[in-house]
Amino acid sequence: MGRTPFVALLTLALAGCAPRATIVVASKNFTEQVVLGEILAQHIERHLNVEVDRKLNLGGTLLAHQALISGQIDLYPEYSGTALTAILKMDPMDDPDAVEEAVRREYRARWDVEWRPGLGFNNAFAMVVRCEQARRENLRTLSDAARRPVPWRLGVGYEFVQRPDGLARLQAAYGLPLDGRPVDMDLGLLYRAVQQGQVDMAAGNATDGVIEALGLCVLDDDRRHFLPYRAAVAVRAEALSTHEGLRTALAALEGRIGEDAMRRMNAAVDGGKRPVAEVAREFLATL
Amino acid sequence: MTPAEIWRLTVEHAALTGAALGIAAGLGLPGGVAMARSVRTRGIFLGAAGVVQTIPSLALFGFLIPLPFIGGIGKGTAIVALALYALLPVLRNTVTGILGVDPAVRESAVAMGMTQAQLLWQVELPLAARTILAGIRIATVTTIGTATIAAAIGGGGLGVFIFRGLASVDTAQILAGAIPAAAMALLAEGGLTWAERRLSPY
Repeated sequence: MGRTPFVALLTLALAGCAPRATIVVASKNFTEQVVLGEILAQHIERHLNVEVDRKLNLGGTLLAHQALISGQIDLYPEYSGTALTAILKMDPMDDPDAVEEAVRREYRARWDVEWRPGLGFNNAFAMVVRCEQARRENLRTLSDAARRPVPWRLGVGYEFVQRPDGLARLQAAYGLPLDGRPVDMDLGLLYRAVQQGQVDMAAGNATDGVIEALGLCVLDDDRRHFLPYRAAVAVRAEALSTHEGLRTALAALEGRIGEDAMRRMNAAVDGGKRPVAEVAREFLATL
Repeated sequence: MTPAEIWRLTVEHAALTGAALGIAAGLGLPGGVAMARSVRTRGIFLGAAGVVQTIPSLALFGFLIPLPFIGGIGKGTAIVALALYALLPVLRNTVTGILGVDPAVRESAVAMGMTQAQLLWQVELPLAARTILAGIRIATVTTIGTATIAAAIGGGGLGVFIFRGLASVDTAQILAGAIPAAAMALLAEGGLTWAERRLSPY
């Protein structure tokens, strides 16, 4: 075979994919992240003439962040408190706006990544107990829980042990009586363990749909101790400048996903076993 | 992440692995010998052990949490799951090793007047030793790796570092779990390979 047909073929092949650029949308590997990732992906597909490549199950903050700053993905949803303490390793701050401002400044300066305005909800840590127990013992707030005469068997997710705003700060604020060292384990399994009475209290996330589905209740953080975890999209500045319309498309979602909406979508996927793509499509239809 | 904590979790990791392998070998070796005698049980049990291998660990833990005695959270459940995962290589290699004994050798042993027990202990097991040990070696090395999932059910071990590190963007923490686990796996691989050579008649 001569060279000409080969070159012609190659040109044809390249020309074939040229007009459809690709945006890589990612998320971490838990329900809410996957739902948000899918919402972003469908929304971008609808508003931009691009191929969307979904990487919706990256194993944790570290992997998602590394993928973002190395340019393997273009955007993923992240939480302000997580960005501040886990990624930027900065000290916790109380004011939600100050947290967001600091994160936005540092992301831009360090990695040329834009921290978009919040999507509209705050997924803070939340201490959950069995609703039945909360009713029986008349517990509504974490201060109530601190006064309980019987020590708590506490279970926590991996992040909670490490985070500067996690276990240590919780105990400094409330001083819950604990029965031995807290068990640290996978959060999904932990909710089940609370439901089954293997532990009495768990540190979970406020918008997890499974909380309601398993008959668990959140105790109110009455001393406002937990950091804000406002969800927002972290997107590479390069992707924003390459893909015209991406900024506008993202802006259309910002401030539109409330806490209740998020919890309902999480519950629909976790408890209701509905497909993520369907839940995302229904939500986008309500906008 | 102090040296003391690394040491404590490494010991815990070794204990989880050891307990799981003890159970897997305790069930798998006699089980494999029995299955080598019967085609039907072989199909059923090897099939079942194979199916267990395909269940993702978190799903398996989810099933185990509500169960009495073997379930719940903590080390017990982790050991049950790890033992289930380790069972297949032990079973399969025991069966393969015994079935691999030359029929002519077996026949001459019977012709010499050996009982079934003598046949097993003096002919089949020594000849199958290398394959059986290889199964235990594979089970050991993979269990050292998979034992990191014990952390997901509050069972401790080096997985605690790995999962914490992944959750909090801390590479040093991940390495504090991964390096001792890798070292342990290499050590086990080396030691058991040596034992295989020593114990096999070839």
